[in-house]
Amino acid sequence: MHVWNFAPVWANADLLALGLLNTLKLTGAALAFGIPLGLVLALMRLSPARLLSWPASAVIEVFRTTPPLVQLFWFFFALPILIHVEMTPYVAAVLTFSIQSAAFFAEVFRGGIVSVERGQWEAARALGMAPRQVMRRVVLPQAVKRMVPAFLERAIELMKTTTLVAIISYADLLFQTNEVAQKTFRPLEVFTVTALIYFFVIFAASTLVQGVERRLAASGEGMAR
Amino acid sequence: MAALYHWNFAPLLENADVLWAGAIGTLRLFAICMVLGLTLGLAVGLGRHARSRWIHAPATAFVEFFRNTPVLVQILWFYYALPILLPFSIDPLTAAALGISLNSAAFSAEIFRGGIESIERGQAEAARALGMTSAQAMRRIVLPQAIRRMLPALTNRGIEIFKMTTLASAVAYVELLQQGKLLASLNFNPIETYTVIAVIFFLCLFPLVQATYALERRLGRSDA
Repeated sequence: MHVWNFAPVWANADLLALGLLNTLKLTGAALAFGIPLGLVLALMRLSPARLLSWPASAVIEVFRTTPPLVQLFWFFFALPILIHVEMTPYVAAVLTFSIQSAAFFAEVFRGGIVSVERGQWEAARALGMAPRQVMRRVVLPQAVKRMVPAFLERAIELMKTTTLVAIISYADLLFQTNEVAQKTFRPLEVFTVTALIYFFVIFAASTLVQGVERRLAASGEGMAR
Repeated sequence: MAALYHWNFAPLLENADVLWAGAIGTLRLFAICMVLGLTLGLAVGLGRHARSRWIHAPATAFVEFFRNTPVLVQILWFYYALPILLPFSIDPLTAAALGISLNSAAFSAEIFRGGIESIERGQAEAARALGMTSAQAMRRIVLPQAIRRMLPALTNRGIEIFKMTTLASAVAYVELLQQGKLLASLNFNPIETYTVIAVIFFLCLFPLVQATYALERRLGRSDA
């Protein structure tokens, strides 16, 4: 019978804390680049000009239909040779997860923009606004409110996906867990604690998202997915 | 300006059998996870629908736990942590299949529950009034209608499962990406290898994604 002993885990709590911090840092960076890029991709895809809409569609479809781990390997092992740059695991991960989540965010943006009735466009145009002004002043503010729940859900998915960087040796929570497990010969305790850390952080975030969803639903805003 | 990279796919063609072995491994893992994930998901979904708290509470706990932890953590837990509690060791296929199946079961349980709850109560009540037991009403009346509505969400799950199989490479299970890693380090050609792997996944999944879109549009028209 295995005797559970969590003391070695507590002794290395600082390593795990550093890992969690790196996980959050990576998630934050991917969100900071992914959301604006997603908006650009969505606007390009909605553009009547094929020269804009086709490349955007291609990027979105490719990044949505290939496994994120394959993308990460490509950016980490293949891209540096192709363009002759040094690639660190962190840069490769930020690049991959930014573009990958941008592809998903783009579809959320697109759904939200399309959900705003055409009459709104026409009314704003009739008032003399340029298409760009209509988008910024009338359509996007309404669309963004409808997209909030889908956004937050996607951000949670992103945090779960960041665990993949452990495979290319970036010191996120999962990588640190593996290190501590090998150092202490206590994989059961260390991996269990890590699973619980992820659970509590992500569960807290999900609960928050559900609260936001209920409030938006109560204020009479539909949801775009 | 640096010299242009010369793409060379010859070493990959020579090693097509290695990639083929990986493809078989990917398909095997996908099939196992699809069957286990969906059947277990249906059981858990029915459990969450149940009125008894003794069934409802564990089903909910299962769903919340597996939806709110990363799959890779689950796979590594089954591979490195679980064997310590068991008298036998766990091979990479079992660890990956356990992690991906249980994770997919949690997600598909929510699809099943949503689908079942979307069928009006009157249908189940009418079936009961005709003398069916509640199990019969579920099997003959509610599920057949619910499955139709759930189809797009379920094919999406299938696509996600297919992409998730690559995580098995983290425990060295022989699948496409694992074989790609092997070839890339053997032939020093990561560019060609990982590009080909990405293209294979894209070609397998793109038709499925398009089919799901078409299905969504058709269902959206026929029953709003």
